[in-house]
Amino acid sequence: MRRSRRESRRERAALRALTSSALALLGTAGKAAADTAIDHYESSYSFSTYSEDDLKKSDTIPGGETKRYEINTQQLSLAAPVTEWLDLSLLVTHEHMTGASPWYTTPDAAGTPIQIMSGATIQDTRNDMRVHGNYYTDSGRLGFGGGYSKENDFSALSFSTDGELHFNEKNTTLSGGLGSSFDDIDPTDADKYPTRPDHKTKQSYSGFVGLSQVWDRRSILEGSFTYSWDRGYLSDPYKEVFQVGGVQNYGDFRPNSRHQFAFLARFNRHLEETESTIHLSYQYYIDTWGISSHTAELGWYQSFGDSFQIAPHVRYYSQSKADFYVPYLQFGQPKLEDMSSDFRLSAFGALSFGAKAEYVFHTPWFRDIEWRTHLSVERYLSSGDLSLSSVSVASPGLVSFTVFSLGVDVAF
Amino acid sequence: MKPVTRAGRALLLWALVSLPGLSTTGCASLGWQWDKWWSDVKLPDFPAFDEYTESPKSYVEIALEHDFLVRVKPWERAVLARHDMAWDPDALEAARREHTFFSKEATMPGGSAGGGGCGCN
Repeated sequence: MRRSRRESRRERAALRALTSSALALLGTAGKAAADTAIDHYESSYSFSTYSEDDLKKSDTIPGGETKRYEINTQQLSLAAPVTEWLDLSLLVTHEHMTGASPWYTTPDAAGTPIQIMSGATIQDTRNDMRVHGNYYTDSGRLGFGGGYSKENDFSALSFSTDGELHFNEKNTTLSGGLGSSFDDIDPTDADKYPTRPDHKTKQSYSGFVGLSQVWDRRSILEGSFTYSWDRGYLSDPYKEVFQVGGVQNYGDFRPNSRHQFAFLARFNRHLEETESTIHLSYQYYIDTWGISSHTAELGWYQSFGDSFQIAPHVRYYSQSKADFYVPYLQFGQPKLEDMSSDFRLSAFGALSFGAKAEYVFHTPWFRDIEWRTHLSVERYLSSGDLSLSSVSVASPGLVSFTVFSLGVDVAF
Repeated sequence: MKPVTRAGRALLLWALVSLPGLSTTGCASLGWQWDKWWSDVKLPDFPAFDEYTESPKSYVEIALEHDFLVRVKPWERAVLARHDMAWDPDALEAARREHTFFSKEATMPGGSAGGGGCGCN
């Protein structure tokens, strides 16, 4: 009897997931990794709008620009089998960004920093393309990837290689990878602003090792360590540092080297009684700029029958400030070797929450495609009050945003 | 000194003096011939050098030998194969969120290597 393509696909999916322990870590166009090459085509498309809340009137000068960034993102991915033991995937991202961004901070009458936004509205696009190939063996996987990202003023070329080894009847998986990125920065209007350099470069080298373990029929656990070394021009050419009584603003000066360490632990468990899956993750991060952070995330995937799912999630983030973060320099204060007023280097905490609705259906009358459609919303709030570390003066540039997203995945 | 204590000391002294004498002479009343008893014990052959110097197994090795980490058999993986049991069920969303948080926070995402930065402002 001829089996329907859906049935055989399901079986193969189950077979493929024999080591779902291997799952993912793919830096690039990631299909959920498994231990054999995919045997059908998969394609996904997603459209999202990202919009930052306006700056509070009290956080800037009277009549100052309060509008911030808006980004429309389109993503398209395609994964295809090449042979039984080789597959390839491609991820293309196109983004259009518009709006103003934080420029520098000055004190108000009371000495509290207020944010000055970049005057001219920024218009930028980012195109990013990544390819990733996987070679599978009986006991593991070897992957190679490359990517190119281009913005008006920025380009990055990146390479990565990663792999997995399975042990203990594929209950334990050791994974690891190496990556590098070579970036070029060509700030716009460098001739108009003395603090902006003409052309700068930076490089990043990273590596990770991870160990995942199938805990029982319904749970899986993973721990990983990631290290990255960034060197070169790590400053932000569009940010400045204000000095009270100064003749003109200073540029943003950051150390030209940064070592970063991240420890990530995650745990997934499916509860059969309630048809729900819990995702838990925690990451501790520390770097040589004096920043340390905690990220904790909880996701709940609640199924209602075979085809409908609602997945709410909540994420908490808290970071300490960089050693050289200054809102502004006081009157007469000597220029610091390293200094930045970037809100991203200040101490803050962030809470984000959102939900995703997903509907899966098949079209047996049309190539028996499996369609997975989803709609999601996420709200992100950041403030000094949410930080775990004590914040003497929170940056006025801290951002809050909302993201709406619509997507479809097809498998055929 | 109390009479009880004195009696105890006397008993102890008697035991120390007489018991070794009894045992070394192979006193028939105890029924023990210590030297013969020892001769019955067969010492094992001296182990080979490498065997003798083998370090004891670690708990990890013992655990591995007992399949401590083999918890789920291939035919029991239906739940683990679920779409929502993947670390990132929606790869595009994961990539987009990672990029967003990376752009607005000072933390590098863990668990993978590589990927380009951005000129994010």
